[in-house]
Amino acid sequence: MRPMTTRIKLTCVAVVAAAYPVLVATMQAAPQAAAPQSGKPTITVGSQGPLPVHATFTKEQINDGSGLFLQNCAFCHGKDAGGGESGPDLTRSKLVASDKEGEKISEVLHGSRVGKGMPRFDLPNAQVMWLVAYVHSQQDAAMSQTGDRKGVDESDLHTGNATLGKAYFEGPGGCTRCHSATGNLAGVATRYSGLKLEEQMLYPESSKASVSVRTASGQSFKGPLEYQDEFTIGMRDGSGTYHSWPAAAITYTVSDPAQAHVVALARYTDADIHNVLAYIQTLK
Amino acid sequence: MSGVARGTFRMPLRHRMLYAVLMTGFSASAAAQAVDAAMLQHPPRDSWPGYHGDYSGRRHSALTEITPSNVGHMALAWTYQTPQTQVLKSTPILVDGVLYFTAPDLIWAVDARSGKTLWHYTATQNKAFHIGQRGVSILKDKVYYMSSDAHAMAFDAKTGKLCWDVVVADASKGQWSTMAPLIVGNHVVVGASGDFDNLQGFIRALDPETGATQWTWNATAPAGTKGMTTGGNVWMTGTYDPDLHLMFWGTGNPTPVLNGKIRPGDNLYTCSIVALDPETGKLAWAFQPSPHDTHDWDAVETPVLADITFAGASRKVLIHASRNGYFFVLDRTSGKSLLTTTFGPVNWTEGIDKEGRPIPNPAKEPAPDGRLIAPDEAGMTNYRAPSFDPKTGLFVVSASPSYSLYFAKPADGTYGWAGADYNLWSKGVLEAIDVQTGKIRWSHELGRRAGAGVLTTDSGVTFSGDAAGNFLALDTASGKTLWHAGTGGSIASSPITYELDGHQVVLMSSGSVLYAFSLPVSAASTPNGHTHVHRRPAVQ
Repeated sequence: MRPMTTRIKLTCVAVVAAAYPVLVATMQAAPQAAAPQSGKPTITVGSQGPLPVHATFTKEQINDGSGLFLQNCAFCHGKDAGGGESGPDLTRSKLVASDKEGEKISEVLHGSRVGKGMPRFDLPNAQVMWLVAYVHSQQDAAMSQTGDRKGVDESDLHTGNATLGKAYFEGPGGCTRCHSATGNLAGVATRYSGLKLEEQMLYPESSKASVSVRTASGQSFKGPLEYQDEFTIGMRDGSGTYHSWPAAAITYTVSDPAQAHVVALARYTDADIHNVLAYIQTLK
Repeated sequence: MSGVARGTFRMPLRHRMLYAVLMTGFSASAAAQAVDAAMLQHPPRDSWPGYHGDYSGRRHSALTEITPSNVGHMALAWTYQTPQTQVLKSTPILVDGVLYFTAPDLIWAVDARSGKTLWHYTATQNKAFHIGQRGVSILKDKVYYMSSDAHAMAFDAKTGKLCWDVVVADASKGQWSTMAPLIVGNHVVVGASGDFDNLQGFIRALDPETGATQWTWNATAPAGTKGMTTGGNVWMTGTYDPDLHLMFWGTGNPTPVLNGKIRPGDNLYTCSIVALDPETGKLAWAFQPSPHDTHDWDAVETPVLADITFAGASRKVLIHASRNGYFFVLDRTSGKSLLTTTFGPVNWTEGIDKEGRPIPNPAKEPAPDGRLIAPDEAGMTNYRAPSFDPKTGLFVVSASPSYSLYFAKPADGTYGWAGADYNLWSKGVLEAIDVQTGKIRWSHELGRRAGAGVLTTDSGVTFSGDAAGNFLALDTASGKTLWHAGTGGSIASSPITYELDGHQVVLMSSGSVLYAFSLPVSAASTPNGHTHVHRRPAVQ
């Protein structure tokens, strides 16, 4: 659904959003559905949908945020927030798009994604808001840009052959050992799209390992693995109670279904990936 | 000496004092340490006067008080809480009982016994990247530092008073700095970082007294030279062989980073190890770990120097575990390859050429629909220091087997990053590589990708850290854990060790805090009358 809307001026966004809340809500739920199967538009004027709705920030906040962003964020996320060394393109971030006045971005800054490689930043609230203002301004600018946009577009990711992908999925890929197109992957392409779908396909980062523990006194526990290092195992039991033990004091088995994806990473050709992605993209 | 040192854990007072006297004579610690060329070549036991300790980059200490059998008793001596929140990436230096260390825009000089701050420096606010600061260097009475906005600065080591400040690269154009300068003879040698703009990488020698430029070696052609690459930024401290009188430096990736189409060929001297004459900056030889790089794999990881028997012959070698996943042993007199192998999953090459260089596979250059690449952009290893243990012949490196997707399309342009890449999966593992064969002798899993460097000691202990924030002491021979301490922080620096008042100290950092560890000393054995807690040795 590449919308046929004409380009919406930045200054009108809040008004448009207020007038058409349903449209905005719909776009946020499925912003990138049904891209063309081949080729990509030569021009993408307004093709990225209405701009996200967020608080109004002052020029001073955005400008101060720009300096702070260069110091602390630009190395990983790029000077324009469009991606750099190891950090994602924030101008395409759904989290940024759904953030209204820093409530989601500040959580990330305060350490909610440390486990995924995003460092924690202890900044005063005012400075957090400067960064929020700058990141929103960069996303708005990128989304109102005319012409081909840099970064990974949904339309870039349609080079595979779905038939070959299905054959790989059901054959040498071994994917059906854990997955089924009508079972746990039914509708997956409506839940994810574009690069996010490809990343989920290659390694489902949010997948959780589970652990079975037997203590020295013979008690057994089984549940999601909450913490693991060389010395400590932490898990949650069926009642939601957290337990941890010295790793050396128990016997335990970690079961991590996502490990099968790591094994697959060593086997894929690029064509395999593009073909399987083409197949997965049909699972709506 | 080492026999005495090994016994100090429960040594009677008399022996301890004798030992202290011997040590004083050995290292002249009572008098001020003159930091001159001779001292930097042969650092005393009670010093760590440069980024790598000595010039070799081995990060291997001759100290033996802490051993595999007693390291389990090692305990916290003190911590230094820096009054800021950036994660410390610097390697502290120690001279005359004073530690000098840094964070971006900040330098501290601290009493190594008490943690008392002797002076500190805060740089002027600037918009350069503040991704890390790896430490300062020292020569005679001055401490040398690179600011985030790529100024080289000299400070009076006693007072912290600024002596000179020269601009090394124009930060407004996109270069910045993180490195500790390398001091060789009468030269303060520096470089800069910068991947987001098409700029010329360089190595520059400055006069220690004035900061005046002595020479500049350019890694690449000036920006705008048609068909020629830019980049090759030099952002990690090099090593030095006084016998050959050659310095060894790694250069960074070419720019544009992910788009190689407008810069055909090998792109010399990017992603290269270069041997330079410290007097003139003249290139003696170069070896390129990543010809025509399109994955941001700087070859700046420490070029480690060792004199070993290799394949039956006495060799002066250079050992380099590269970000691109390859492990190299070179003859450092000529730059010729002796061994090229991988130290984890690698999928971007078509093999190795006759000079020992990986041959990049054109099909693995970033593309509009993505290419699966191993390792990822952060690489199989990165700035975290490796260590070479001459006794076991093991090169210990914190490695990150990893996979990623690399994209580049015309809309990404030909300037700066010029594409996008996304890590899919990575893990951390400490690997001990046999330098004779390149085979991994042992692997120690670290969980997620870890940020700690490595230190080895003559007694056979390896110090490092894992991704969960545990400091680790391992048996160098086997990789087995001997000791650990959880810090609850992110470890992004490399441990060092030195002797202070006759006892070995291991200094590590996690988060914004420095931690000093040593073997417990009983109250009875401290000659100065200070009360120390006597820690009962834990049962092994």
